Amino acid sequence: MKLSRRTFAGIAGTFLAGLCLANSTVAQEQGGTLVLIVQPEPPSLASYLSTSGPIGMVTSKIYDGLLEYDTELQPQPSLAESWEVSPDGKTITFKLRQGVTFHDGEPLTSADVRFSIMNAAKVTHPRGPNTFAAVTDVKTPDDHTVTLVLSEPAPYMLMAFSGYETPILPEHVFGEGDLRAHPNANKPVGSGPFKFTEWKKGQYIRLDRNPDYWKEGRPYLDRIVARFILDSSTRTAALEKGEAHFAAMGAVPFNDAKKLAAKPNLTVTTRGHEMFSPVSELLLNTERELLKDKRVRQAIAHAMGRQFVIDNIWFGYGKPATGPMSSNFAPAGLYSGDVKVYEAENGVEIANGILDEAGYAKDADGVRFELMHDSLPYGQEWTRFGEYVQQQLGKIGIKVTIRQEDVARWLKRTYADHDFDTTANYLYNLADPVIGVHRAVHSGQIKPGTVFTNGSYWSDPEVDKLLDMAKVEPDAKKRSALYDQALKIVAEEIPIIWVHEMNFPTVVNNMFADVIVSALGVYANFDRAYMK
Amino acid sequence: MNTFRQRFMGNPRVIAGLAWLGLVVLVAAAAPLIASHHPFEIVAEPFLIPSLEHPFGTDSLGRSIWAGLVHGARTTLVIAILATLASVAFGTLVGALAGYFGGLVDDGLMRLTEFFQTIPSFIFAIVLVAILTPSATSLIVAIAVVSWPPIARVVRGEVLSVKAREYVQAAVLVGQGDMAILFRQVLPNTLSPLIVTGSLLVATAILIESALSFLGLGAPNLMSWGFMVGAGRSFLRDAWWLVTIPGVAILLTVLSINLVGEGLNDALNPRLSDL
Repeated sequence: MKLSRRTFAGIAGTFLAGLCLANSTVAQEQGGTLVLIVQPEPPSLASYLSTSGPIGMVTSKIYDGLLEYDTELQPQPSLAESWEVSPDGKTITFKLRQGVTFHDGEPLTSADVRFSIMNAAKVTHPRGPNTFAAVTDVKTPDDHTVTLVLSEPAPYMLMAFSGYETPILPEHVFGEGDLRAHPNANKPVGSGPFKFTEWKKGQYIRLDRNPDYWKEGRPYLDRIVARFILDSSTRTAALEKGEAHFAAMGAVPFNDAKKLAAKPNLTVTTRGHEMFSPVSELLLNTERELLKDKRVRQAIAHAMGRQFVIDNIWFGYGKPATGPMSSNFAPAGLYSGDVKVYEAENGVEIANGILDEAGYAKDADGVRFELMHDSLPYGQEWTRFGEYVQQQLGKIGIKVTIRQEDVARWLKRTYADHDFDTTANYLYNLADPVIGVHRAVHSGQIKPGTVFTNGSYWSDPEVDKLLDMAKVEPDAKKRSALYDQALKIVAEEIPIIWVHEMNFPTVVNNMFADVIVSALGVYANFDRAYMK
Repeated sequence: MNTFRQRFMGNPRVIAGLAWLGLVVLVAAAAPLIASHHPFEIVAEPFLIPSLEHPFGTDSLGRSIWAGLVHGARTTLVIAILATLASVAFGTLVGALAGYFGGLVDDGLMRLTEFFQTIPSFIFAIVLVAILTPSATSLIVAIAVVSWPPIARVVRGEVLSVKAREYVQAAVLVGQGDMAILFRQVLPNTLSPLIVTGSLLVATAILIESALSFLGLGAPNLMSWGFMVGAGRSFLRDAWWLVTIPGVAILLTVLSINLVGEGLNDALNPRLSDL
């Protein structure tokens, strides 16, 4: 089963590579420097402490994980040659690869894996304590066997072993001293295809080829340089001129990506975000009297033009969302789009009808009631989104005033003080709904002070029950049926207006191939990337 | 010697400046009549090039640039003028007290002024708006707080020179109180440099307001020229009219104020023009 899947992936990969190469049949040769735009400059290189995007873009090349993932989100072997989940789902056993060494020459053993899970992932990582909550012990019967002992089945856990999410750290380096303030945080020592060489603050981070990498002949590239360019039009120009070869995750403005796609030396793709799948949302505070009313929420959902937002604010990158779950979970059988749909030609009319019927009468100025919208302080697109919300709700008699605060105050207002009417945000779905979707709608995720959790404060015992069952259900079919039911209720109640599944353009110079090869995209280790 | 009026109005640069300013004021005052749309209202397809139907085109969301320009004139002018009035009032008070009373009062107030002058004014304005949360009021406060020190210094210098004149000494002999002397005898005679500095300050205020809005720190519910330039800057290569039109409006308005301000200076200090 596992073998056949791998073989299939291999065939598909070859086929894709063939397509990309088109008229070139030369084998991958070693050499070349890939200049990667990282925006903004990472605050540190401690990916076991922070999930901040720029950190992962660099460290994913340095630290390998136990597993890799293909574009269908299926686990593939990496540091672990094979793995096995016990029939009751309560133990996961990994067989580690022989002869893998860290960049300092020391061998990688089961003790390092134990340290990375018990001392880093479960303790210092922002998402890890949640993901690995069920792990009670990590057993290491020999140097190349690791057994995770779980308190309950956790089928989603297998999605969290990439080098980006759960890096395997050398215990002999990080085991000494305080992991939260470790001298090696910015001098990382991993087992990945590239070694850290230098960090010129404000300019670049240089990574060089790891000649002792366990994959025969890989990596192909001699060097990866992560460059920091503050101004967005300069980033676009650098890609056009070939001074930089790669940019992902919004490093290039959406409208520029369209222009770059027309250049003969560049390719623009939206693949490589399947592991993240952000879904944008108009977040409603259901503790507010007006927004407690389901009819008001439904009216707002009808008034929003999802396609308009995609076309005019995100320049075509994205697709309308049907709920909190991204359709990227369709291959895994978990996604269901069979829910109440609010998008309609005459959405504004429907919304006005609902509000009229609910008894929210318009006054002489055509205003039913007023709301304050806090614009998400994450850049131009979100400012435009706030302005669009103001216009659309104005059409249904809701007068919206916009407030624009800085990130720290917005986070506090939204997730700690819960002192807002409506705001915008986007949550990553991540590799499994338990990690990325439950947090938006489960009542257990109403956690004042913890960011990116259930910010609407909406809860429903039925949905809670279904999600709890889905969390521990090992059978994929049953699990998907549970999600179908939960998503139906959520769409009917619509505590949050999910707007669009966000897609980010990734720009790659055509001199390079096989740069984006998995669901992790820019957060993969680039060992297969090569220069033509 | 020519009268003030002849010197001022006989200057063609002043006439040009006044003409543009008059147009801007007129448009700002009549904004809702001239542009029937709300400036944030989505009225057509995005990125429409200027045409008869949409005289200045539309922006990235399909909002009318014309409506933005007209309503933006209102925001920009009102904020700039109120901020200038506030900073002139405060600056004059500080300068007058320092200059008239001298000694410790002077030392204290001038050190305070210098303290504000040593902080780079635009960065200070950014910090203030960020702390106060962007709104029309916080923009006015921020601009006023960073612009009053030069006024204070100008007024202090003038008061120092006027204070030594005979008619002031006469007023002291007659037994007028300090405040009466300061406000009735001294300050009215410092007006001409104050008018010149104040009028130029309006131009600076427009530039600060535009720059703050450009950075996204403007009043979020009000259309302004700086906001239009800021929102359009990423589309400079695709849709030149988004930034060019409000940009030219800012340029012409600031230039006009400078022309008028210099004209005022020449007219109020006729001896300068002989140099």
